[in-house]
Amino acid sequence: MKKNLFSMLVLCLIGLQSVFAQSREVSGVVTSAEDGLSIPGVSIIVKGTTIGTSTDFDGKYSIAVPADGNVLVFSFVGMKDQEVQITSSTINVVMESESVGMDEVVVVAYGTKNKRSLTGAVTSVGAEVLENQIAVSPISSIQGAAPGVNILTSGGQPGENPTIRIRGIGSVNASAEPLIVVDGVVFSGNLNSISSSQIETINVLKDASASALYGSRAANGVILITTKGGKYTKKDATISINARAGVSNAAVDLYDYVGAEDYMKYSWEAIRNAELPENATAADYSTAGQTATNDLITTLGYNPYDTANPVGTDGEIVSGANLKWDSDWYDALSNDNAFYNEYDLSVNGSSDNVVYFINGNYLKQEGAIIESEFERYSGRINLKAKLRDWMEMGTNTSFSKSIQNYPNQSGNSYTSIMQWANSIANIYPIYQRDANGDLKFDANGNKIYDYGNVSGQSVNAVRPRLGGENAVSSSLLNEILYTRSNLFSSTFMKIDLHKNLSFRTNFGYERYVYDSNEYDHYKYGSAASVAGRVSQQRTITETTTITNSLNFKKDFEDHSLAVDVISEYYDYNYDRLSAQGTGFLPGVKVMSGSTLPESVGGYVNSERLESYMGRVDYNYLQRYFVDFSVRTDGSSRFDSDNRWGTFYSVGANWILSDENFMKSFANKIDLLKIRASYGELGNNRGIGYFPYYAAYDTGWNNGVNTGVLQGGIVDQEIKWEKTALFNVAIDYGFFNNRVTGSLEYYSKESVDLLFDMPLAASTGNTVVTTNIGSVKNSGFEFIVNTVNMHTDDIYWTSTFNISTNKNELTKLPQEEIVQGTKKWKVGKSVYDFFIREYAGVDEQTGEALWYMDVEDTDGNITKETTNVYGDADRYYQGSSLPDFTGGFGSYFKYKNFDLNVQFNYSIGGQLYDYSYAGLMSSLDRPGQQLHVDIKNRWQKPGDKTNVPKLINANNDYNGTSTRFLFDNDYLRLKALTIGYNLPESLLKKVNLNKCRFYFQADNLWTISSLEGLDPEQSLAGTTDSRSNIMKTVSFGVNLEF
Amino acid sequence: MKRIYILIAVIAMLMGGAGCSDYLDDPKPTDVLTANEIYGSKEGVQAYFSGLYRMFRGQYEYEDDSYRTDNGGVYSMYYARSVKGNDIIQRPTWYLYDYAHENREPTYSRVRITWQFDYEMINHANTIIKEVTASTALAEVDKPAFIAEAKAMRAFFYFQLYLEYYSKDSGLKTPPLYKEQVTEAGPMSEPADYEAFMIQDINDAIAGLPEERINKSYMNKSVANGIKARILMALNRDWDQIEVAANAAYGGDVNSALDASIYAGGFNDIDASEVLWGMDQQSDQSNYYYVAPHAFADHNQDAYFGMFVNSAFVSEFTATDVRNEFRNGYGAPVGNYQQFISDKFIFAFDSDMHLMRTAEMVLVDAEANYRNGDETTAHNLLFALQSDRDPSAVKSTNTGAALLEEILLERRKELYAEMGVEWFDAKRLTRGITRNGNHRVFVTLTPNDKRFFLKVPQIEIDANENIDDTVNANR
Repeated sequence: MKKNLFSMLVLCLIGLQSVFAQSREVSGVVTSAEDGLSIPGVSIIVKGTTIGTSTDFDGKYSIAVPADGNVLVFSFVGMKDQEVQITSSTINVVMESESVGMDEVVVVAYGTKNKRSLTGAVTSVGAEVLENQIAVSPISSIQGAAPGVNILTSGGQPGENPTIRIRGIGSVNASAEPLIVVDGVVFSGNLNSISSSQIETINVLKDASASALYGSRAANGVILITTKGGKYTKKDATISINARAGVSNAAVDLYDYVGAEDYMKYSWEAIRNAELPENATAADYSTAGQTATNDLITTLGYNPYDTANPVGTDGEIVSGANLKWDSDWYDALSNDNAFYNEYDLSVNGSSDNVVYFINGNYLKQEGAIIESEFERYSGRINLKAKLRDWMEMGTNTSFSKSIQNYPNQSGNSYTSIMQWANSIANIYPIYQRDANGDLKFDANGNKIYDYGNVSGQSVNAVRPRLGGENAVSSSLLNEILYTRSNLFSSTFMKIDLHKNLSFRTNFGYERYVYDSNEYDHYKYGSAASVAGRVSQQRTITETTTITNSLNFKKDFEDHSLAVDVISEYYDYNYDRLSAQGTGFLPGVKVMSGSTLPESVGGYVNSERLESYMGRVDYNYLQRYFVDFSVRTDGSSRFDSDNRWGTFYSVGANWILSDENFMKSFANKIDLLKIRASYGELGNNRGIGYFPYYAAYDTGWNNGVNTGVLQGGIVDQEIKWEKTALFNVAIDYGFFNNRVTGSLEYYSKESVDLLFDMPLAASTGNTVVTTNIGSVKNSGFEFIVNTVNMHTDDIYWTSTFNISTNKNELTKLPQEEIVQGTKKWKVGKSVYDFFIREYAGVDEQTGEALWYMDVEDTDGNITKETTNVYGDADRYYQGSSLPDFTGGFGSYFKYKNFDLNVQFNYSIGGQLYDYSYAGLMSSLDRPGQQLHVDIKNRWQKPGDKTNVPKLINANNDYNGTSTRFLFDNDYLRLKALTIGYNLPESLLKKVNLNKCRFYFQADNLWTISSLEGLDPEQSLAGTTDSRSNIMKTVSFGVNLEF
Repeated sequence: MKRIYILIAVIAMLMGGAGCSDYLDDPKPTDVLTANEIYGSKEGVQAYFSGLYRMFRGQYEYEDDSYRTDNGGVYSMYYARSVKGNDIIQRPTWYLYDYAHENREPTYSRVRITWQFDYEMINHANTIIKEVTASTALAEVDKPAFIAEAKAMRAFFYFQLYLEYYSKDSGLKTPPLYKEQVTEAGPMSEPADYEAFMIQDINDAIAGLPEERINKSYMNKSVANGIKARILMALNRDWDQIEVAANAAYGGDVNSALDASIYAGGFNDIDASEVLWGMDQQSDQSNYYYVAPHAFADHNQDAYFGMFVNSAFVSEFTATDVRNEFRNGYGAPVGNYQQFISDKFIFAFDSDMHLMRTAEMVLVDAEANYRNGDETTAHNLLFALQSDRDPSAVKSTNTGAALLEEILLERRKELYAEMGVEWFDAKRLTRGITRNGNHRVFVTLTPNDKRFFLKVPQIEIDANENIDDTVNANR
């Protein structure tokens, strides 16, 4: 009741105001400078009053202005505000888009800056990029749109986050991930909880100046996500509904596998070749062929033919033999036309003292692999209010829940689907067969999945590869379910203490609950002998961040000064509980149904950070800008003596185009700005919570006896990793800002790199993490945006960007460190391949050859071939890191039609394809699936080929060498959108602001130097049997009223 | 002017944190203990030992690769040795490269894991010796037994490493020898020093260890004696000491030491009376399908179905021998490698794995008596075991070399697939291994064949300043 009274009072007051004022009528039309079209929904306010209105469908308005009102304020989202003196009763206004101008406000660390004053390197990606892509994890949509940001999506499981690296690989063993900040609060949940539709901008802070206030954790860059809001202007609520649905398929074609018939013949050949002595005679061939014919089925374990020995002594299928099955495992394991749908409802509106944005989003996307799926519900309320003229409060709060069905689709577990498809030959049936090759049925007459482990049957019973499993069945019967819920809230209060001094306090809270629930079937597969297994982990991550800041700002004639003093407390808690049990009745998949608990576990990790920061911004004439930031942090990750680290940056910029001597070019040059920054930033992530703590790990119990194990050697003196960053850039705008962009150079070098120093294994430890070594990244970034055509009907823009990165190790604790396929050495990069060099096939023997260095008596080294893999030398063979990455795109609008394309590319990297290597084996392990390229194998002396012979004996032919190292260049049409907006005349009839139909395609087209494999694999340039990235084709409709 | 109070409050808030200095001290790990806690009590040290015994039967990860089914604790080392002989045939599944004698290059997994695992365990033992000695919190009276156990552990793992790296009369050096905890890596060692150190350790261990222990997964005096017998056998010296040690290990009473019922039990329970030492697998601390030999040998329970038995070896067993658990489970044709499977081992997620049995020690005693010139006792001991296993056994008339061969064959028949007995004997007696019968991969190893030992892993060469590539020149 009280509330109603209050509302009535408010209404009365507003009403009174309009009754008592003497007013005159002002009207006009508001159009856009961009396309000349009228803009509906523009908010118009009489300055200094609460009187306002907004334009109608034709951009027309009419407002009653009181006698003392003399200025109208026009505002619209995405447009620059305009204040117009009331000089007549008709005022037509042309509004300019905000993004072109230099007055654009850019979100930076702990605040905002206008673009003009920016001294640092910031790339801002807005709704125009985000809206045109299906990005379950929103960051993936900035791929190709932000120079210097390398984004890599590994695999086709929806809901997975991409790998992000900003300006190269700045950390080697510590985390090289950028810091993610959402609405001013460091984010520790899963990015897939935020829907793209809630995001206003994603800003990437790349250099010291831009990110110094996040200095302690910003050495590898910062990504600021700002969710949607608005301004304090009177504006009717906009209700926007967006619905889209589509289908997904693999973005690239897969490997071609050999069929069952060929597989039998190849297997025969491999066995025969293993039986041949050196310099085999025709008689030897004949004997060996007979042995191969006899041994083939026992070697393979299965016989897909209806004849006992289906391959004759000539290596051909014997006449009359019929194939009973030819399994297409990939087809059985993959999703064709995986379904995708997403619905979004957004409401936003504002008044003079309240701004709100409310969003609800539902998304469901099926993955490339059967049963793989991601489903998300997310909601958000962003609200801010001016409580007094000196006090403001607001909150951005979101909640999200997602369920991810995640069958194993990478790595080498038995149930890993791509490994399965790349490992199990077509001759192995999906369903059980008896010794005669006929299907077996259970008591209900259903087919039974073949696990390749039937006891007591001579043939078609025991599979030599991945026995006891069947990926099709395990994907269907087992469950791997990840449920995540995330509550994230950032709440602030701002108080103006004085006209130049304000105080702001911000409270960030995040609660992220992650539940991983795996069920292994009670009857089939790995847990069948214990009647099923459920393993569940539940982690609760809770983060609170309290930030208090004092902001002083004052202009003295030509000078402006701003000073910020900030303190922050960050508290992070990770609480994990896990349990595992066996013995389940059919249909029971929860822990309570377990008859035998297998394990329980749980622990709490926590981390704290105490920080003090200061920033001074100064400019003279709005032309010369200098800023200085410093931050000091204490981190609980380090021992108390090494806990505190100080990070700083200085930056400056000069608006050259404002100088008098440039005035004569003013009609051509709108902006020329030179900026530079230098600073030292830190990193403490990715090294565990207590890296300094020499500890004995619990959990190593032996029966009922408590067991602990010494947890390896630690450096108790370990401290902050620091990186020195330098950046210099030119920002430009030409021809009335028809051409804008920037050119930057950066150089980053670590000061106290956190590094896993290798130890000789004989000392009992293999590594110790310490501050040693140094890595340097440097490169150029170039971006150009153009407005190509701008007429009444046509609006056409383009954008292009390219970046380079040179990654170089500049200091190491030992001369060289071999890391798998890489070798670290000063002057080389973190990801330079160091592997054997393939020298082709010996024409006489069919064996693989590699190169080795041979030293003659004079000490000269020559490269010779060897057939002994172990003797071959390893050489540097290029890097997995690309030389160039970037993207380009174009937006074209003709009347009500629009077209948007975005490409991204990567050139100059190398990729080692383990999967293809596995598929090109010489059948040393029987049953291993083969690629059709095996047809080029060596068969007889004199054959010239690059593919060695088949031989059923252990060998190194497909050992790691340049044989499977490929150039990895690609260009991908990342986003394509074709849209049609219903004409306004029509909209008006149905009371709509907007009605848009669109066709959208993600990853529609890829041109790649690789075959059978998606070019996006891993930073290290190695494959891991990953499922494929998907291309998605969808249709959508967007209504606004 | 009220805002002046707000300002004061604000400044207080900004500076507030500086006062509470323990804000950053609060977070502490919750699932670990410090050295002070471990060496502050008997229970702490005991827990460390328990952790080490758990390692015996756990999966083991080394740097580059993830877990592999054939890379684990002591069990995987033992089974890899088992498949290297002539008696066992491994299907092309895990351990297939060990079976083919092709897993010895510097970058190969068997090489890396053997080196890394053994040295990690040696370092743990060295750590215990150092910390227990230095501890002021532990009672002096409790220390000798801990140090003796750590020395037994150290001797055992130096011995495992030795077996994989020594080669008689080759002049090759033995791996680095660390007599105490180190941070700097050392050079390859002189075999004589290495051997002497192992023997010293195991003698100290026997002197200091009691017979009592928590259960059979822990070492005691008997186990240390058994280890000593094996070490000296490998060195082929001091057979008098071997005889004493073997007797001490099985207790000296051959009749009470033997119990053929273990064969019905499936070799998966350390509580079986013949078991001297074993790995105490639990269903709630399971090693799942990694358990070797059980997950490979058992063809009745769903696992790898990986182990078959050589037909030539099968023919050595009489029909009435309790150990004759062979059958043609797949109806495979004669001569096919899948012709014989064995039901010796029964697999379950809680199958215990055996490290040492009294039956082995009885046969060691027999061999030692033979070597020490007492053929009668040797033959009696041998027949005691034979007649225990086969009620219809008939004592042979063998003497001299033929009797020794009979003892050696009995060792294989008794211990196959448990500890790599055939490989161990071939190596210590400088005999080769010649595969016959229905093998899948035929190899012939000459005496002192290089395939009897491993190369030094590349990871060690890369990180150890005292070892370079030439270390593998003649390996």
